Formats: sequence, C-alpha cells, structure tokens
Amino acid sequence: MRKSRGKYWIWLFLAIGILMMTVPLQESIHKLRPATFGPKREGGWESAMRIGPTPAVIAALGGFRTVAADLLWLRAERAWDGGSWWAIVPLLDTVTQLDPHFILAWKVYGWHCAYNLNVESETLVDKRYWLQRGLNVLEKAVEANPDRWEMYFELGWTYYDRAHEPYRASEWFYKADQFPDAPSYVTRFYYRPFERIMDFDALFPRMEYAKKKHLDDPQHQYLVKRDIEWWTTHKDDPQEHRRQIVTENTARKQRALPFYLYPNDPYWDVCPVCGIPSPKGSETCQYCGAPLHPRSGSAAASPGRTN
Amino acid sequence: MNALAGRLILIAGVIVVGAIIAITRRSWAPALGHAFPSIWRIAKITVSEARRRRVIQAVIILVVLLLASMTFFSYLSPQEQARMLISGGLAAIVVFGILLAIFIAAFMIPSEIENRTIYAILSKPVRRFEFVLGKYVGAMIVLGVIVGIMTVVLVGVLVLQDHLVQDLPDSVFNPNLGPVVLAAVLSYFALAVLTALIVLISTVASTTMTVISAFIIWALGSLQETIHDLATNATGAARLLLLVIYNVVPKLENFDIRHEVSNFMSISIASVWQAVLHGILYIIVVLALASVFFSDRQV
Repeated sequence: MRKSRGKYWIWLFLAIGILMMTVPLQESIHKLRPATFGPKREGGWESAMRIGPTPAVIAALGGFRTVAADLLWLRAERAWDGGSWWAIVPLLDTVTQLDPHFILAWKVYGWHCAYNLNVESETLVDKRYWLQRGLNVLEKAVEANPDRWEMYFELGWTYYDRAHEPYRASEWFYKADQFPDAPSYVTRFYYRPFERIMDFDALFPRMEYAKKKHLDDPQHQYLVKRDIEWWTTHKDDPQEHRRQIVTENTARKQRALPFYLYPNDPYWDVCPVCGIPSPKGSETCQYCGAPLHPRSGSAAASPGRTN
Repeated sequence: MNALAGRLILIAGVIVVGAIIAITRRSWAPALGHAFPSIWRIAKITVSEARRRRVIQAVIILVVLLLASMTFFSYLSPQEQARMLISGGLAAIVVFGILLAIFIAAFMIPSEIENRTIYAILSKPVRRFEFVLGKYVGAMIVLGVIVGIMTVVLVGVLVLQDHLVQDLPDSVFNPNLGPVVLAAVLSYFALAVLTALIVLISTVASTTMTVISAFIIWALGSLQETIHDLATNATGAARLLLLVIYNVVPKLENFDIRHEVSNFMSISIASVWQAVLHGILYIIVVLALASVFFSDRQV
C-alpha cells in the first residue's frame, strides 16, 4: 500500500513539474499569436442598437469564427445580388467582428457605407451619417489590421475621393506608403489631394518626395515627372485654377459637402452659395447672382444651402 | 508573468522532472527495451481494427466529396474563392478529425474490457502502460492517415483551382499551400492532445462518459483565450480557480492557425514550435497518468 501511494506521489510531482514547464511556454504563445477578437466597438447608444453577435457568441464559435464569417459573407453577397443594400450592413458588421482580419470585408463595408448608402440616403443628415460611418469603419479596419497598407490606403482614398478632406487623406496615404510592399501609386497619392485644392506649398515638396522613391520603376518616375512639369507650367494658369475649383466644388455639391473656399486663389472668388468661381473683383456670382463678399461674417453656407 | 519569472518556472520544472526521472530510473530503464516491441504490436492491432470499421471509411469518402464540392464557389472573386476553400477545407479537416478521434479513441479501451478481449492481451507478457501507449500510438497512426488523406485532397483542390481560376488585376487566387499544410499538421497535433485525454478518461470511465467528456474537453480547449481573459479580469479566489483551469485544460487553440492561413497573414514560427513543445509535454503528462490509472484498474 505504501509503495502504491509512493508511486502516485511520484507521478503527481512529475505531472506538476511538466505542467509548470508549460506555463511560461503558454504565456509566450499567447503573446505571439494575433488577437482574433475585433477592435473596440462603439459604446453607448450605438452599441445598444447594433445588431451582431455578442462577445459570448464570438467566443463560443472558437476556431470556427472564420467559417461563420465566410457563411455570412456569402449571405451578404446574395443580399447584394438581390438589391437589399440596407440588409447588408448588419451582415458586414457581423462578418468584420467575427473575422477582423478579413480585409475584403472591411473594404466592402467601408465603401458600401461611404458610397452606396451615402447616395441612397435622401436627407443631408443621413448622407453625412453614412459617409462618417464609412470613415469610422475604415478607421476600425486600420486599428484591427495595423500591418496592412491596404487599410491605410482605403481610409486615405475615402477621405480623398468621398469626404474631400485632402489633408487627412494625405496623412493616411503617407502612412500607407511607409510599408515596403505598398505599390508606387500609393506614393503618388501622397501629393494628389493637394492638386485638387491647389495648395502648391504642400504639393511641390510632396512631389519631390515621390520623385525620390521607386527609382527603379520607370512608370512611376515618368508620371511624377509629368505631374511636376504640369504644375510648374500651370500653377499660374487662371483657366486651370477655374477648372480645378469647378470640378472640386461640383463633386462636393453632389456629395452634400461644404464647398471649398480657396482663400488664397489669385484669379477667382468662390461663391459662398453655389461654390462656383467668378473672376476676382466681381461683386456678384456669375452663376447664381449671390453677393460674393457678404458683410455679415462668414458666409460659409449651411449644409442645406449647398444642396 | 514577466520573462524572468517564466524562465525560473521553466528551469524549476526541468529540475523537478529531471530529478524524478533520475530517481526512478531503476524502475523504468530495464522495461524500456521490452516496451517498444509490445507497444508497436498493440498499435498494429489497433490500426487493423480501425481498417475494418466501415464508419471510418464512409466518413473519409464524405470529407473527400465535401472538399471536392467546394470548387463550385466559382461565382466568387478569385481572392474570395481561395479564402473560402482554405477556411472551409481546414474546418472540415478539424471537425471530421475530432469526430473520428473521439469515435476511435473513446471505444478502444472500454470495448476491449466489455468484450473481454483484454484478458487475452494482458495474459501475454504485455504491461498495462504498454497496452495504453500501444492503443494511443495505433489511434494516432489511423488519425495521421485520415488527416493526411484530407490534406492531400484539399491541396489537390487548391492546386486545381489555381489552374482553373483566372486571376484578376486586384484579386488573385492564392492557394497558400505551405501554410495550409502547416495548419493541417497542427490540427493533427491538436488531435493528438485530444486523443491522449480521451485515452486517459477511457481508462477510468465508461464509453458514454468518455464520449461526453471528450466533447466538453474539446469545447474547453477551444475556449482557452476566453478563460484567459476571464482570469485576467477576475480577482481573488475566482482568479486563482480560473488560472488553474486555464493551465490544466488542453490548449487546442494553440494549434489553430486557420484564421491566419485563411487571411493570408504571416505565421509566427516561434509560436508554432512552442505550441508543439507544449503539446508534447502535455501528452506525456496525460499518457503517464492514463498508464497509472489503468495499472490500478480492476478489469
């Protein structure tokens, strides 16, 4: 009996000894593995309204989160084909929670909110809500995938093309460009936003930066050189200024965004009501007839007036 | 836990294990020479028994058909197709692998006792720990063949699709073969850990109890990160209890790299070999306990 008990004690100590050895190993593995849960979600009323899996459901799915995300992605595709654009949102929200590293799902989710649902919305408040939601989604995508240049670029692109915020767009393009695997067009997008608003103080240094990168890419070098030559020639061209201002403000008008003021433009005064430029010195807008220099403070149009 | 404490515990563990092995060497060293042939003979018998089971063959055919049918996602973009095939294929390997592991391992020892065939084996010069290890090795050979077949079919489907699917400029079909095979190999290690635990339970419990326990262990092992999070946020006795549970339950999630492979993410090789080492140490403990429990069992 004593011998038998002694044997048990030896095996117990052996088991404890080996299990002790696994503790620091497990700590190390825990640190090395990527987090599989999604980034922090909205708090307050928005999280209460959000439709999607609770953390308990996500945890219960265990290693099958990716498969569950795939099945919901297929459902989202079917909803897309059926034209159910609003039904896709909770599906994509759930997919990105289940699999926060599903790059394509983040891209589609952000794009769908900022583009499709922004256009589909009927009121200005709704349009702005969906644009902002698209930007929020992509910011979460960056948070969840900080090592993927695609997410930084996607966010920069949405700020550039949809929100028309050139300075923020350029910042995100710059962050995307810091990744060694980012293609050369990302570098060129670092200066593209400043072409639209003709901020030459910001544009030329960035074009010089782009010229020094991708030296072994002749296509990139050709395009950057072409852009530098174009803007060196046309930076004082009144017609080019007018073209840029009209293009930018027309796009802003279509997206229910405030027009861009171009405060330092030497040739044109931008109408505070319609956003279309008239020659410098004009009293009234040549397009809508509104006074170009109203006396009562800032003429920054309210959102309703721009539409 | 900081790095210094971790190293100290690792060194202490090595010293404890080394001391016990050295102290008990007179009892186990002579038996080793005899053990390997016996273990191998029992393993071969286990494999031949498994070969005769129609259920296993049927499941293998079902999985092969399932994997082959996954080529029908042709309406998706190449990038999506690759992701769906990889995540779905690896999930099929894990699910059917675990079901077969439970089916094979839970019935091995209890059925030998219930059918009284164990008397014929133990009347021969076979020690009980050799019987337990032989059964385990046999089960792992069968599971290795099954996982191997499923992996070959999945790789075949991926290679075939890579040739059939026309890549688009911004959507490329990436078969990601190396990481897929690595994920399948790690799934096999997860099965090895689970099978060892099933063998341990089957030495003391009935078949039904073993099967139920196996599913509970699978669920607990797949929730290790959740248990870790709960332990981190808990205080006092609850924290201590959760930490004990966390360190005792099998770490099946360590072997699950399907998420990284499906999303074409880089895989930490250090975490892979540490998971394998952790698994091997865990299996040693579990099989040692299974041998001890079975040695004292009245059959």
